[in-house]
This record gives sequence, C-alpha cells and structure tokens, in this order.
Amino acid sequence: MGGVAIRVMLSESELIRRILSGERELYYDLIAPYERMVYISAMSLLHNETEAEDCAQDAFLKAFCHLPEFKGESKFGSWLVRIALNEAKMKLRKMRADLYDSLDKATEGEDDEYVPQTLGDWREIPSEALERKEVRELLQKAVDKLPERYRIVFMLREVQGLDVAITAQILGVSKAVVKTRLVRARLQMKDMLAPAVKNGRLFSRHLFKKGKNPWL
Amino acid sequence: MAMTCKDVWREVSNYIDNTISPEMRHELELHLSYCRHCTAIIDGVRNIVVLVADGRLFSLPAGFSARLRARLDKELFS
Repeated sequence: MGGVAIRVMLSESELIRRILSGERELYYDLIAPYERMVYISAMSLLHNETEAEDCAQDAFLKAFCHLPEFKGESKFGSWLVRIALNEAKMKLRKMRADLYDSLDKATEGEDDEYVPQTLGDWREIPSEALERKEVRELLQKAVDKLPERYRIVFMLREVQGLDVAITAQILGVSKAVVKTRLVRARLQMKDMLAPAVKNGRLFSRHLFKKGKNPWL
Repeated sequence: MAMTCKDVWREVSNYIDNTISPEMRHELELHLSYCRHCTAIIDGVRNIVVLVADGRLFSLPAGFSARLRARLDKELFS
C-alpha cells in the first residue's frame, strides 16, 4: 500500500505525534537515522562494542518511554544523544564505581596549554588506508586513549559531525569549552598517530611493493 | 605582531573548520609559509579530521539494527 513512500515523507514531529497517538511501530522510522549516532555516543564512553550496543538499545527503550516528554526545544537527535550518554555514564558507574571520572567535573583546567609534538615530516594518510582493519583499529585505539571529556567532544564533533553549538548544548558546556576540548583532542590524536605515520604503518603496503619508488 | 607557534596551535581548529577571520587566516598562513613544524601539525590534524569523519570508522556492528528491533519488539510492542 505504498506505506514506505508515505513514511519517508513524514517529518520527525509528525512521526512523533503519530507514535504518541498510538502508531507505535513508526518508532522504527523515527530512530533509524540515529542508530549510528547513539551507538557512537555510547562507544565514546564505554570502549566496548557489546557494552555500547547494549547501552544503545537501553537508550532507545528509554527514549521511547520518555517520548511524551520530548518537547522539541532541542533536536530529536541531540535529545537521543543526551539519553545515550546518560545511559553510558550509569553503566560506567556500575562498571568502575571507584574509578569514575565525572563527565561534568573537569580535573584539569581548560586553559592549560597543550604543546603538540612538532614532527616535521607528516605525510598524508590516504583514505584508502581505512580499508585496512589494522588502520581502523589504530585510529579507534587512539580515540580510546583520549581523556574522557576530550573524547566525547571529539566523537560528537568529528565522528558524528555535530556542530559546536549542538555539542555544547548536549554536554551542557559553553561553545568555548567545546572548542578548547576539540583542539586538545585533535592535537593529541595527531601526536598519538605520529609514530605510526612515521614508521609507515598507516600506509598501504602495496605502494611499496610495486618497485615504482622513484627514489630507487 | 607576527603569530607565534603557540598562537597557531590555539587556532588550529578554527583554521581547519574555516571559522577564522580573514585577517587571522592571513596571519596564520604567513606563519605557515616559514614554519614547517606548524605546517606539519596542521596537515596532521587535517588528516585526522578527514579520516575520522569517514563512515568506515566506528561503523555499526553487523546485525545491530535487527537486534535493536528484536529487543524493542520484545520489550515495547509484544
């Protein structure tokens, strides 16, 4: 009956209105565009695929139950991300009750200078490198090593592509704080990956196999 | 007054995101024209930004949507 075509045209607010008036199965259409976003938010705190997936499911369940409270002051996506981050924080508290590093409490001043390593010979990493699992893992491990408050900003801004204002709104911090944390995160990521770049681990091996190296 | 390396590092994000004033961009590029360290830093950071935004990183685990749907079906709609 062409239901799919009709659904595609429904706006988020219309979907929400209809879900709340009983068409609950439309919830799948509402959340479909946000599955990766919610998963990534959970991953940014939990570092573990299984835990993050569980957490994402919990967040979607919770969001459904609280949907009547969604007033549309923020974007639906940001609202979902906040729920996911809260779920992930609760999960983390359970997992490491004593080690928990609060999301809201900065342990270092935002004003401390971060001095990036000044490596002179950074070569470009070709995006084809991402086809290699090893490279993807290297990047993901580097993200994992970022301090928590930088990592969350990095994931929201770089991986999910949210803008500074929305990231600030989700985290309840100022835009200036988001920007500062992002600079730190970016510079630290670069420094963490610099050794891998230097010793060639991030480059495709085949580039060096064909015997076309101009310097030989 | 010419920008120092520290000034450049503070503006790395704004430069890459193109949220920098034309004057600041000019100053920064002037600095980059003679400072290969800062040039390497900018190139490195830009590289990371491009790679990390690639959807192949942090992709959803296989079967994620189906498992999500199964869980919601079970807990909400059954």
